[in-house]
Amino acid sequence: MDLIVCIKRVPQTAEAEVKIDGSGKDIVKDRLTFDMNEADSYALEEAILLKEKSGGNITAVSLGSAEAEDTLRIALAKGADSAIRIKLEDFGELDGFKTAALIREAIKDIKFDAILTGCMSTDDSYYQVGPTLAEMLGIPHATLVSKIEVADQKAHVHRELEGGLIEHLEMSLPAVFAVQTGINEPRYASLIAIRRAAGKEIKVIGKEEISSEAKLNSTLEELFIPPVGERAEILTGTPDEVSKRTAEIIKEKGLI
Amino acid sequence: MANILALVEHRQGTIRDITYELLTYGRKLAEKMDGKLTGVILGHNTGDFTESVKKHAHRVVVADHEVFKDFNAETYQHALADIIQKENPFLTLIGNTAFGIDLCPALATQLGVPFTTDCIGVEIADKKVRVTRQLYDGKMDAHVYLSEGPSYMLTLRSGTCAAEEGNLTADIQKIEASITSQPDYKKFVEYIEAAVGDVDITKADVLVGVGRGIKEQANMSMIEDFAKAIGGVVACSRPIVDANWLPKDRQVGSSGKTVKPKLYIAVGISGAFQHIAGMKNADTIIAINKDPNAPIFNEADYGIVEDLFKVVPALKNKIMEMKQ
Amino acid sequence: MDFGLTNDQKMLQDQVRKFADAELAPVAAEIDKSGEFPWANLKKMAQLGLLGVVVPEKYGGSGFDFVSLAIAIEEISRACATTGVIVAVNNSLTTFPILQFSSEEQKSKYLPLLCSGKKIGAFGLTEPDAGSDVVSLESTARLEGDHYVLNGTKRFSTNAGEAGIFIVFAYTNKEMKHKGISAFVVERDTPGFSLGNHEDLMGIRATANCELIFEDAKIPKENLIGKEGDGFKICMSTLDVSRIDIGAQAVGIAQSALDESVKYSKERKAFGQPICNFEMIQSMLAEMATQIQAARLLVYYAGYCKDTGMTRFSRESAMSKYYASDIAVDVTRKAVQIHGGYGYSKDYIVERLYRDAKILELYEGTSEIQKIVIARELIR
Repeated sequence: MDLIVCIKRVPQTAEAEVKIDGSGKDIVKDRLTFDMNEADSYALEEAILLKEKSGGNITAVSLGSAEAEDTLRIALAKGADSAIRIKLEDFGELDGFKTAALIREAIKDIKFDAILTGCMSTDDSYYQVGPTLAEMLGIPHATLVSKIEVADQKAHVHRELEGGLIEHLEMSLPAVFAVQTGINEPRYASLIAIRRAAGKEIKVIGKEEISSEAKLNSTLEELFIPPVGERAEILTGTPDEVSKRTAEIIKEKGLI
Repeated sequence: MANILALVEHRQGTIRDITYELLTYGRKLAEKMDGKLTGVILGHNTGDFTESVKKHAHRVVVADHEVFKDFNAETYQHALADIIQKENPFLTLIGNTAFGIDLCPALATQLGVPFTTDCIGVEIADKKVRVTRQLYDGKMDAHVYLSEGPSYMLTLRSGTCAAEEGNLTADIQKIEASITSQPDYKKFVEYIEAAVGDVDITKADVLVGVGRGIKEQANMSMIEDFAKAIGGVVACSRPIVDANWLPKDRQVGSSGKTVKPKLYIAVGISGAFQHIAGMKNADTIIAINKDPNAPIFNEADYGIVEDLFKVVPALKNKIMEMKQ
Repeated sequence: MDFGLTNDQKMLQDQVRKFADAELAPVAAEIDKSGEFPWANLKKMAQLGLLGVVVPEKYGGSGFDFVSLAIAIEEISRACATTGVIVAVNNSLTTFPILQFSSEEQKSKYLPLLCSGKKIGAFGLTEPDAGSDVVSLESTARLEGDHYVLNGTKRFSTNAGEAGIFIVFAYTNKEMKHKGISAFVVERDTPGFSLGNHEDLMGIRATANCELIFEDAKIPKENLIGKEGDGFKICMSTLDVSRIDIGAQAVGIAQSALDESVKYSKERKAFGQPICNFEMIQSMLAEMATQIQAARLLVYYAGYCKDTGMTRFSRESAMSKYYASDIAVDVTRKAVQIHGGYGYSKDYIVERLYRDAKILELYEGTSEIQKIVIARELIR
C-alpha cells in the first residue's frame, strides 16, 4: 500500500504565550518552539502502521520553509521512505485551498493508494487541506478519521462525530483520510533509524518545478487578541486566599 | 438580491442544534442585504424537519429521498452542488461540525466558490465577505477576507450566535433528488454508539474537568483526590483522552459529551472551543489556569489565574475543612 | 568553525528530548522516592537504541559518535538524573572498554547483551580504601589454568545490584604498580562473586549502587580485556570518555534546574509582582544560563575531540567533567534559592536536582582529580 502523508511544521502554541508581531498579520515566532503538527504526527503513525501491515512506500510531503526539512527528516526516521519539501518561500500567501493545490502538483507523478493528513493544523485551524485535495484529485475522502482498516482495496473507516458517536464508512481506494488525534500512539524514532534517515535526500521543489493556477480563497487582514469575556470574575490573592474564597462560593451555591 | 442558503443538519432523525443557529445567523445576514434565507433540507421522511425549519427561513428547499437519510459527504455534495447552481445564492452557510467539515471544502472546491471554515463571525459590506476565525489554538482571532467570487461558502462554528425563535412561514419547495444511490466508492455503513463506561459524567452535579495543564499522568491522582473531596466526578478535555489517561467517556466537548452540571471546575484547561461547546451550559463554571489570556476565562463565572498545582491542593483542604 | 549539530544529532536530540519528557520525567520523582531500579525506563531506551549509542550496528548498537552520546545523556538526565547515570555507565563505562579493548569474540558475546538491555553493565574500580588513588587497589587476580582467581571488594558501583556484566580491575602483578593492573569482564553468575551492601545514597537514588565481593571468584581466562597489565591504560582511557558523559549529565541536571527556576520565578509573586522582576533573581538566572551554556560547549567539545580522533583529550574531558559538575552543583543550589522554602520541599523538582547534582563532583574522579589531570597537562 503506497501512502502519502502531508505534514506541517507549526509553532507550538498550546502552552505558550502568543503575541502579535509588527505586521499585525502574524505572531511573534522567534521564542516559540516548532514541531510536527499534532494531528499530522498521528497521520504519519497511521501510515506507518498501514505500511507495516501491508508493505509499500510512504512519501512525506511538507509545504514549508527550509526548517520543515528537519520535520520531514523525523518522518523519514519514523518510517517514511522519501520526502518532498515544497518551498513555502516560493508561493507567497497561502490558505487551505492553495496549499491543497500545491500539494496536488507536487504529488502528481507519485502512485498512491491513500493520502493521510492531520484533520487540522493547530496554527491555521482550517480543516481544509484533506477534503480539498481529495476533490481536486477526484477521489473520496473522510475527515476526523479515528480508525482505518484496509482489506482488498476497500477501507473501513471510522469518523468521530459529536457526542462520541462514530460514523462507519466503507470507501474504495485511493482516498484521502484526514486523521483525528488519538487514533494511535505515535512512536519515537530509534537511533539507528535516525542515522539512516539523516543522510537521505529530501526532494525540494519550488516554482521552477511546479506552478498552480489556484487563487487564494481567503486573505488574512489582521490578527487580534480575542476579546476578553466579561463573565469571569478573577479571584486574586495567594493560593490559600483564592482557595478560601472559591470554597465559599461553592458553599454559597449549596454544593458542599 | 443577495440570498443566503443554510444547510439543515440532522442526525438519526433529529435536527441538530447548530441548524437553528445557522438559520438565525443566516436570516439576519440576509435581511441586512434585503435578501432571503433559504433553508435546505436533504433527508428522508422530512415532514417534521420541514415543519421545524419553515418558521426560521423565508424559503425551504426539500429533497426527500432515502439516500439522504444518513449523512454521506458524497451524496450531499452531489445534491447540494446542483441546488447551489440553481439557486445561485450569495452565501451558503454550513455548520462547522463533523458533517460540515467533511462537506464544505470539497463542495466549494467543486463549484469554484471561495470558502473558509470554522468562522465565528461574518460581516458583509459592499459585497465583500469578511469573517472572524480563530488561530493558534484559539489564542488569536483573525479577520479574513474571502476572495471575490460568484458566490461564497462558509462553515460557522457552533455557538457563534444564539438560536432565536422563528416567526416566519417559509414557502416550501420540493425538488427531486439528483442522486438516488450511494456511490460505490463511499458508503455509509452505520453509526456506532460510544461505549458506556462506569461513570456517566452527564449525570454528575459536580464535574472537575482536567486538561493539558496537568502535564503528567502521575498528577491525575491529585485531581481524583480533589474530585473526591468535593463530591464530584473527573472529566477531561481531549488531550487527556488522546494520552490515554482517561477513557473516552470522560471527555467533555464537541467530540465527547455535552454536560450541564451545577458546578464545573476547569483545571488546566485552556478552553479550546471544542471543549467549551461541551460545558458552557454548566450553572457555575470555575476555571483554574495560569495563563491569564486562556479563553476558558471568557466562559467561566470565576477565574483563578494561578498554578493549578498550588491551588488544587489548597482548595481541597479548604473544602475538607468546610465539610467538618 | 561550526557550532551547529549535524542532522542526525539534531534528530537524536529532538527524539530523545521528547521521549525523556514524556516517558522519563513523569516517573522521576517516584523513582527517586522508591529507589527502585528503573527497568521499565531501560526497556524503552533499549528499543530506541540508547543503551549502545556508540556501539556499531553489527554488535547491536546505534553507531553514533560521542557528541551524540553526550547529547543523549544530557537529555535523559534533564528528565531523570538517575536514569541518566545508569545509561552513561552502560554506555561509556561498560560497552566502551569492551568495544575498544576486547577481543572480537568478547565483543560479539557481550555488546549485543548490553545494547539490548538483556544485561546491564557496571564498573568495578573503586575499593573501600582506593578511590581516586587507583594504584592502591587491593583486589588481585591470579591465573590458574584456564581461569583467573579474583579476590577483593569494590564499592560504590553504579548499577551493580541489577547488572549482569561487570568491568572489574585487579592486580595481576602488584610489584609492577599501575602497569600490573588488569581489566576483566565478569558475569553476574560467576562462582565466588556476590553483592554486598546496597548504598543508601543522597541523590541518584535508584542506581542500584552496591558493593561487589569477590572471594576466589573464577573468571574465564578469555575474559581478560586486552593483555595483563593493560588495566590502568584501559581504565584511564575509559574514564576519559565517561567523564564527558558525566559532564553531559551535569548539563542536563543544571538545565532542568534553570528551566524550573525560570518557570517558578515568572509564576511566583512577592511584593506584588513576579519575582523574576527582581534583579537579584535575574542575576542568578543570568549566571545559571551562562554557566550551563559554557559547560555544554565544553562537553560537546570534549566529545568532538574524541570523535575527531584526537589521541589525547584527557584534558578536555577532565575540564568538561570538572566544570560541568561544579556549575551543576552551583546552579541547582541557586535554583533552590530562587524557589525559597518551596525549593527545600519534595513537592518541587529542584529539591531532587540539588541532591542529584552533588555526586557529579565525586564519582568517576573527584573534581580535585580532574584539576590534577588538567594541571599536569599544563605543566608537563
